[in-house]
Amino acid sequence: MRARVAILIAAAMLAGACTSNSQGSSGGPVKVLLWHGYEGQEKRSLDALVAEFNKTHPDIHVQAEFNAVNDHALQKVLTAVVGGVYPDISYLYGSWSANIQHSPITVPLNQFVKESSMNWNDFFPGERAAATVNGKIVGVPALVDNLAIVYNKKLFKDAGISYPTPDWTWDDFRAAASALTDASKQQFGWAYPADSTEDTVWHWEAMLWEAGGAILTPDNSRAAFDSPAGIKALTMLQDMAQDHSIYLDTTNTKIDQLFNSGKIGMVVTGPWALPSYPNVDYGTQIMPSFGGLNHQSIAGPDNWVIFNNGAERQKAAFEFVSWLTAPKQELKDSLATGHLPLRASVKRLPGYAQFPKKFSGISTFVNNLANVKQARPAVVAYPKISEALGQAIVSVLLGKSDARTALSQAAQQANAILAGQG
Amino acid sequence: MSAPQSSSLSLARRVRGSDHLAGWAFTAPAIALIGLFSIFPIIWSVVLSFQHNDLLTPNARWVGWANYKQLASDPVFVKAITHTLIYTSLFVPLSIAIGVLVAVAMNRQVRFMSFYRMAVFITLAISTISTAIMFLWLTDPTYGIINSALHAVGIPLQGFLEDPNEALLVIVAMTVWGWLGFVVIIYLAALQGIPGELLEAASIDSASQWSIFRRITWPLLSPATLFLVVWLTINALQLFDEVYLTTRGGPLYSTTVIVYYLFDQAFNFFRAGLAAAAAYVLFLAILVVTVIQFWLGKRLVHYSS
Repeated sequence: MRARVAILIAAAMLAGACTSNSQGSSGGPVKVLLWHGYEGQEKRSLDALVAEFNKTHPDIHVQAEFNAVNDHALQKVLTAVVGGVYPDISYLYGSWSANIQHSPITVPLNQFVKESSMNWNDFFPGERAAATVNGKIVGVPALVDNLAIVYNKKLFKDAGISYPTPDWTWDDFRAAASALTDASKQQFGWAYPADSTEDTVWHWEAMLWEAGGAILTPDNSRAAFDSPAGIKALTMLQDMAQDHSIYLDTTNTKIDQLFNSGKIGMVVTGPWALPSYPNVDYGTQIMPSFGGLNHQSIAGPDNWVIFNNGAERQKAAFEFVSWLTAPKQELKDSLATGHLPLRASVKRLPGYAQFPKKFSGISTFVNNLANVKQARPAVVAYPKISEALGQAIVSVLLGKSDARTALSQAAQQANAILAGQG
Repeated sequence: MSAPQSSSLSLARRVRGSDHLAGWAFTAPAIALIGLFSIFPIIWSVVLSFQHNDLLTPNARWVGWANYKQLASDPVFVKAITHTLIYTSLFVPLSIAIGVLVAVAMNRQVRFMSFYRMAVFITLAISTISTAIMFLWLTDPTYGIINSALHAVGIPLQGFLEDPNEALLVIVAMTVWGWLGFVVIIYLAALQGIPGELLEAASIDSASQWSIFRRITWPLLSPATLFLVVWLTINALQLFDEVYLTTRGGPLYSTTVIVYYLFDQAFNFFRAGLAAAAAYVLFLAILVVTVIQFWLGKRLVHYSS
C-alpha cells in the first residue's frame, strides 16, 4: 500500500514536470509571444503600446515578456531554440544578425516587407544595414543610437576653454582633454571603456571611419583596419593615453558615475547614457573629425527578430512589429522614453517638436543619425575580429604596444579567422 | 516453460514485498530531476565537444578531436589554464591559513565576540555582485581608498585591475575575502569538537600555545582541512563570477580563467563545441586533483573517533 501511494505521488510529480507547453491555436486570437529586455520607463512604454495593439486588433493577442537584460538576450534565445520552445519575436542586437540569419528558425522578412505598407526605406540607412545580411532582411529596426560627445559645461568654464564645436578636429579634442585634466583634483579630460569588449572596439571604429579607413576589405575577405588611416586613429588614442588625459576604465563599470560626479570633462557615448547624468550641467556635440569635416559616427541598431512558430503566428508577429514601428507609435515611444526616432518621417510629425524640448541634448544625437554612414561588417566572424581589435586597442592604451604593431598583429589574427583558421 | 515463469513471478513478488520499491519510488522524482539537469547535460556536452555547433543551426558537424586539438594550439586557452592554476595555488592556501587563524582567534570568550563573529560571517551573506562592486571602487587606481592609503604612507600608486600583472591578485584578494566566512564557520565547528581535556592536559604539561596548536589542534582539524581543501579547490578551478563582474578576463587576458574562456567561446563566439571540449578538460582536471587530494588525505588526515 505504502509503495503504491509513493508510486502514485512520483507519477503525479513526473507528469507535472513534463506537462508540455502546448499552445492552443484552435479558435480565439492568434497568440504572439514577445521577448524584450526593457525595464522601467522603457518597459512601461512598450507595455502601453502592446495593450493598445491588443485592443485595436482583436484577432491577435501579443504577450510581452521581460526576458533578460538585452546583453543576455541571445543566450536566452539560444537556450530556448535548443529546447525547441521559443518566442515569436525577440529583441536582439544588430551585431548578432550575421549569426542569427544562419538559423532556420529565423524568418527572412524580405517578402513580408515587400508586401506590407511598412515603407522600409523610411528607416535610416545604418539601421537597414544592421538588419540585412547578404540581402536577407533578418529583423525590423527596434532601437537606434549613435555616439557623440557629452561634456561637462562647468569643467570647461573652470578650465577656461570654449565648448566643443561641430568643426572640431581630434587635435582640438586632444588639446581640450589635456586642458581639462587636473591630477590634483583627480580630474580627467576623457574616459574610455577599456575592457576590450565590443564597447572598446566600436568607439574606435568610428574614429577609423573618420580617418578614412575601413574595418574589412569591401568583399569582407581580409582585414583593412591596419591601414595608415587605422594607425592614425589608434595613434590618437595612444597619444592621449600618454598625455594621461584619459581615465581608462578597464572594467567598464565606472565611467557614467564618474562623469556624473564631475570628475570627467568629456565622454563619447550614446543617448541612453543621458539619464545617468542628473548632477551635471552637460552639453552635447557631434564627434570631432580628422579634418575635412568628414564627420562620422557609429550606430548600434537593434532589431525585432521574428522566429518561425508556423505561418499564422509569423504573419501576426510581423503585423505587430510593423504596427509598433510605424511613425505614430514610434513618436509615442520616443516621447515616453527618449529613444531616437527610427524613421526619417517621424521628424515631420507635428508632435515631434516636443521631443528635443523634453530631452535635453537629444537633438545632437538625432542630427548625428545622418553621420552614420557605415555599418560594421555583417560577417559571422565579426565577434572574433572584434576580440582581436579589442586586445590591440587596450594594449595601446595601457602602453604595452604601439599603434602600428598592435594593429598589424590584430590584422594577422583577423585574416586567419576570416580564412577559417582562427 | 513453467519454471522461468514461476521464478519471475516470485521475483516480482519479492520486489513488491520489499521496501526497495517504495524507496525507489520515493527517490524517483529527485533522480529524474538530477538526470534531467545534471546527467543529461554531462552526456550531451561529451557529444557537443566532438561537434562544430553554434547552437543556432541544427546541422552540427561531427569533427572528431578537432576541438581538443584547437584548444591545445590556442594560446589564450593555455593562458587560461596557467591563470587558473596560479589562482588556485594562491586562493586555497591563503583561504585555509587566514580562515584557521581567524577561527582560532574567535574560539574563545571575549567581550563583543558575537559582533566579531557576525562581522566575519557577513561575507557569506553578501552577494558576489556587491563584493565585486565594492572591490572595484576600493581598488580604483585614481579614486580608490587603497591607493589613497598607500599614497599616505609613501608607497607608489598601484594599477590593480588596470595592471595586467596585478589584476589576478586583486581577484584572489576579493575571493579570499568573500569565502572567509564559510571557511571560518567550518573551522569553528571543528574547533568546538576538540575535547577540552586534551588541551587542558597539554597546558598542565606546560606545553606552549604554539605547540598545543601544532601538535593537538591542527591535527584534530585535519578532517575539516581536507574537506575545505577539496571544496575550495573545486570552486577555485571553476572561478567565473568575480571575473565576469569585474575584469571580463582582461586586461589583455590577464584574468582569463578556464570557465570564463569557455563562456566566451560559447556565448560570444558561437563555438559551443570548443566550449564543451574546454569544459571536459576542466572536468578531468578536477577529477584528477580531487582523487589525489583524497589519496593524500587518507595518509595525512587524523580521524578521532
